[in-house]
Amino acid sequence: MILSSTNTLDNKEIINYHGLVTGESLIGSNVYKDLFSGVRDVVGGRTSRYEVEIQKARELTFDSMKKKAEELNANAIIGLKISYNNLGGTMGNTILVTAYGTAVTYK
Amino acid sequence: MNFNIPKKRISNSKNAFLSISIGTIAGLITYHLFLHFHIAIFGWNFGLVFAPLVAGYIETILARKIIGESIGAISAFILFIFTVIYSFILKNPTLGYNVITFGSLAVILQAALPTLINHFLFVVIIGILSYFLGIFKKITDYFNYFLKLIYHKITGKPQTHSLKESIEYDENLENIEINSLNTLFISSSEVRYKIKEYKGIFEGRILFPKDTFLISSNFEKKEKKLLNKLKHAKEQALLNLSESAEKEGCNCILNLSIEYDTVGLGGDSFQIVAKGTGVII
Repeated sequence: MILSSTNTLDNKEIINYHGLVTGESLIGSNVYKDLFSGVRDVVGGRTSRYEVEIQKARELTFDSMKKKAEELNANAIIGLKISYNNLGGTMGNTILVTAYGTAVTYK
Repeated sequence: MNFNIPKKRISNSKNAFLSISIGTIAGLITYHLFLHFHIAIFGWNFGLVFAPLVAGYIETILARKIIGESIGAISAFILFIFTVIYSFILKNPTLGYNVITFGSLAVILQAALPTLINHFLFVVIIGILSYFLGIFKKITDYFNYFLKLIYHKITGKPQTHSLKESIEYDENLENIEINSLNTLFISSSEVRYKIKEYKGIFEGRILFPKDTFLISSNFEKKEKKLLNKLKHAKEQALLNLSESAEKEGCNCILNLSIEYDTVGLGGDSFQIVAKGTGVII
């Protein structure tokens, strides 16, 4: 499965467009998590807890996209876009990771 | 036995008590007035600041006049706790305990204690506490799970998954409806097919209110529900987009982009916008 953010695949011919595939995942607000990263923010250093969470959410998003593309018998996703959105909340820490792209078959 | 407590001291403590209670009552009246006339900006009542201020001020003036020295604005502290409990916890549960509440309490505490104790209180104890609270939550979750299992074995009722019930939208159907439409969604700007005609930019948007769930025993369930809601809304936005494009005779959307936003006062509703160029291929 090729994941590409480009419009076309060079030196490969796209045979069929299958349509849109999307993936989302959410990192919610959590009191325990916030306390730790709050302490880190004061003391200094990277707030690795959020780094790990975002990485995990990203992988989940891609996995669900790949699964949907496989169901459509596609072997590549092109025009992939991924965005990280802060959905706010009083503490401002609900993060939504979204990705979408076009499932295609290439030869 | 005869304790030689000087008379002046007894009368002083009586006077101090009197001035504290008068200050507290004055603060309560102020807070009531602020609530009654609804003097607020962005839903945040100014009484929260002014009531403790008035209480402390009146108390200090009285204490200076009667006793001759200040007694440290105890009524302001009382008023602060009262207003926080009343407005954040009783009156407005959606706002919940927030950073301001904890922050103000922390400021009061740290002003009263030396630095080493402060470090111990705010870093060591809270760190350990949050760690153990996490474990505690896990244990209670397991306990809850086994209790449910036993209950269903005894009563013979089939076990229902409350998580799945609460979700009306089926996750597995995601994208299927979208891809079965006549409109082909392409997120890239080029397509292999020949483009006959450009019809312009089309938009499909959806707005829905956000539930605040700061106080909740089950974060995961709420998160899952929110995510499902977002997925459902996104599909709906795409449907709206294809509908408006189909009206113009388009059968393909090029360069599709989907944006997630929060709009409104304090970001209290979600907006999902799907937009792209409608073309005929």
